[in-house]
Parts: sequence; C-alpha cells; structure tokens
Amino acid sequence: MTAVDLAQNTLDGLMVGASYALLAVGFTLIFGVMRRLNLAYGPTIMAGVYLGTAAFISLGAPTLVVLVVVIIGAALVGLYVERLCFRPFGEGARAASMVASFALWMQLEEAATHLLPQHMNPFPPLLATQPLEIGPLLLRADHLVMLAATLLIAGAVTYLLARTKLGLAIRAVIDQPRAAAIVGIHVERVMMLTFVLASAIGGVAGFLIAATDGQVTHMIGMWATTKGLVAMMLGGLGSVKGAIAGGLLLGILEAHAQWFLGPQVRDMVAWGLLFVLLAFWPGGLMGAKALDRTMAVGRRV
Amino acid sequence: MLELQNLSKYFGGVRAVDSLSLKIEPGQIFGLIGPNGSGKSTTVNLITGLLGVTNGSIRLSGEEITRLPTHVRLSSGIARTFQNIRLFGQLTVWQNLWVAENSRAQRERTSFLARWLGGESGARARITKALEFSGLSHKANELAANLAFGEQRRLELARAMAAEPKLLLLDEPAAGMNAEEIGALDERIRQIRDSGITVLLIEHHMELIMAIADRIAVLNFGQKIAEGTPAEVQANPAVREAYLGTAETSTRGTA
Repeated sequence: MTAVDLAQNTLDGLMVGASYALLAVGFTLIFGVMRRLNLAYGPTIMAGVYLGTAAFISLGAPTLVVLVVVIIGAALVGLYVERLCFRPFGEGARAASMVASFALWMQLEEAATHLLPQHMNPFPPLLATQPLEIGPLLLRADHLVMLAATLLIAGAVTYLLARTKLGLAIRAVIDQPRAAAIVGIHVERVMMLTFVLASAIGGVAGFLIAATDGQVTHMIGMWATTKGLVAMMLGGLGSVKGAIAGGLLLGILEAHAQWFLGPQVRDMVAWGLLFVLLAFWPGGLMGAKALDRTMAVGRRV
Repeated sequence: MLELQNLSKYFGGVRAVDSLSLKIEPGQIFGLIGPNGSGKSTTVNLITGLLGVTNGSIRLSGEEITRLPTHVRLSSGIARTFQNIRLFGQLTVWQNLWVAENSRAQRERTSFLARWLGGESGARARITKALEFSGLSHKANELAANLAFGEQRRLELARAMAAEPKLLLLDEPAAGMNAEEIGALDERIRQIRDSGITVLLIEHHMELIMAIADRIAVLNFGQKIAEGTPAEVQANPAVREAYLGTAETSTRGTA
C-alpha cells in the first residue's frame, strides 16, 4: 500500500460516488416534498435504463438518443409511481405509500424481465477512450463525465431551489404544506413536478452508471435504491448538499473497503453503514435533531 | 361577501361545527368568538378548504366555493393567518412574500410554468410596499424562522395581504401579544378594513374584538348562539351563560 494507491482509491471512489450523489439528490427531493420513502425510486431508474437499452438493441439507437429515452422513460415511470403510490394516500398513511412503492418495485422488475428476458444486456458505452494518465494516477474519461454531470445537475438543482419561483414553491411545500396551499400554491402539482424531476435526475444517474459499465441487469434497480438511500441517509434526510456529500463519501468509503478488504466487502460497507446510521446517527452529516426528522427536513433542502 | 349556509363538520360523533349560518357583508370587520373548542378555527379551516365540509355550503361573493380545492379558493380572493404561525421558516422574509405573490399571478391565469419560472415585474414593488407596511424592510433577507414572535405575526399578515384578498381571515392574531402590540394590531386591522377588505376576525382578546368588530357572532359547541353588534352580544344572556357557565364548571372541577 502506498500513497499512490490511497490517492487512486480516493479518486475512483469520488467518481463512482458522483453517481451515488445523483441518486441521493433525486431520493432526497422526493422525500422532502412527500415526507415518505419511495422504494420504487431505483426500479423507476431501472425501467428507464431498460427502455433505453431496448431502443439500443432493437433499433440501434445512438448513445444520445438512448440518453433521451432513459430520461423520459424514468420521468414517465416516476409519474406512474407518484399516481399509484403517493397521490392516493395522504401524509397520514406513510406506510401505505411505502408498501405500495415496494409492490411497484416488484411489478417494474417483472415488466423489465419481460421486456428483455436476458439477464445481462449491452448498453452503449459513453467514451471508449484509453484512461487518462495524471502522473501516477489513472482516470477514466467516462468517470470524469460522470463527475462533471453530477456537479452540473447538483448546481442546477441548487439554483432551482434557491432562485426560481418553482424552487421556492417546492421549499414552501416542504416547509408548510398547508400554508403553501393557503398562499395559492397547487401543492399536489408541485409534488408531482418534483417527483418527475427527481425521477429524471435518477434517469441521468442510471444512464451514466449503465454507460460506464457498458452493460446492465435488472439488479440496477435494487442497487440504485440501496445506494441512493444510504447516500441520502449519510448526508442527512432531505438535504441536497448532504446528498451530494453523502454520495461522494459513500463512494470513497467503498473504494477503500474494496482495496483493503476485497471486492466482496464492497456492498457490505453500504449495508453496514445504513445500519449504523439508522441506529446511531439518523440525522446524518448535515446534522439535525436525530429523532425529529420531519422538522429536520423542514429546515433543510 | 361570505355566506355560510347550514355549514356542518362532524369528526366522528363530535359536531365541531353544527348547522352554522353566517352572512358577512362587504367592508365589515366580522368577529367570531366563543369558548375554547367551540368550532371557530374549524370554521376557518372549512372556509379555506383545509377541511372538507360534512354538510352545507359556502359562498363567496355569490359564488359557490364549497368543494373547490384550497389553492383555487384562495386565489379567488380569500387569505388567512394561522393561530399557530405557519411561515415558511427556511425562506427569507422577502421570499415568503414572493411565494405568496403566486396567488395573484394565478388569478391572472398565466400558464403554470410561466408563473413559476418567470419573474413578475410588479411583484418587487408590491413586496417592498408590504414590507414597509409591516415594518419589516430591514429584515427582508432574514430567514423567517429567525424573526421574533411579533415580527413573525406581522410577516404572516403581510403574506396574507400579498395575495390582495377580498376576504381576510385572522385566526387569533393577538395571541401572545403585549398591550402595545395589540394597539398596533388594532390600528392595522382598521387600515385593512378601510382599504376595502372584509375581515373575519377570531379572537379571544375581548377588548380588541369589542372595539373594532362591526358585527359579532358567538359560537358554543359548534352552534351559533348569538349574533349582533358588540353591544347587543355583550348584553345577550345566552352569551353570558356560555362564558360564565364554562367558568362555573371549571371552578367546580378544580374544587
């Protein structure tokens, strides 16, 4: 083990962490406005990615078209999830929404395996160039694209929330749904827009992940839900900045764990972290009163 | 302006509001009083649509609004403040008012996206004016959650006014205020009325309500037991009994 290895791990982790960060941003936006967990978030992304790869396989769609299909697909499936799992239940029936989203998870996986029965499916690669050499460190160009896209989207979301009327309406709904309705905000529509936006962001993340792998299985759904969930919890429920920090940190932790303890440990880190967070540190990085999560959400994002 | 007809709200077997009929004339300050739990806040929640009506109807300027969703109802000219202040705590003072400006834009029927993504040129001037009116100009960039209690009340009132309502519902605006602040509130409510806005005022502070209300209705157990001018209501034996009766029971309870 050398300093170069450590630096290389950190760099690799940062790049993979960028995709976690995107997942967590979408997750946290949905949690913020709904105050309910959307377990079907990952499978929504998977559905979008599968539609994209189906277009790639059967029509030979170019990469850019696949990207568009993935984003639109994820957004539409997100709308479907919102209609079925969240719109019909009020905030008083959080468990109902969560269980319903679990049911949709199963449904979406089933639908995906009918669309593409093979376990492993090809996905158009983003950039097939040689890794860049920066001194002793190696850097994949497509990873760099992933990091850049993450920073771009995170910046755009932050701008949206801080500066636009829509963003302020989203924050008003997160803060005080009833008062938001009172000042004339169509609360349900703001929730729906946020949900669709978050699903589209998830679609971008799903595309980048599948493209850097060059292949995709339906397991990406569960993968996205768990990684996004852990990254969100690590950053602090409902905080966009926390989601980004949590995603990057999770990526770095995993990369080091893989290097020191072996590849089979990689996913255990995420699961172990989720347990530790839930048990001891539910407020996450952006520190809040651990037990008063709804309040915490209100103050952040 | 506002007309309630046989309005009822049941929570299970509890009749929180029971066949309430009221008629509020334009330009009035209409007071709604009654002991705790008599259904005043429920009435306001029914008028604003935060609660669904069990029976009866609500009309605003002759227009039936009983089943309209809250945000539509509000943009047709109703605004309110809450008994327990509900500001957007993580937004700045200025942003709280900016969000409220949406209500007006909605009435002007611009498209949804234009409403949310575009800025409105007149909004800035109106917000600046509202801040001056509330004495909050120097706190414009402060987070609403960080304001002092009295300032939060003023901001909530300003936010309601930003919607340029025809009817303003004030749910215990004097709660937690000292005498000096209540004096200022009295003045402000009169100014609002004089600017042509009808006010429905729920208040426990009798001195305030008797001083400024043009007309008062008294609720007890969800039913209207009296209505009239402040003098008439004060002289009404049923009202005395409702208040004194409650006091007597509670004295017995503690004895």
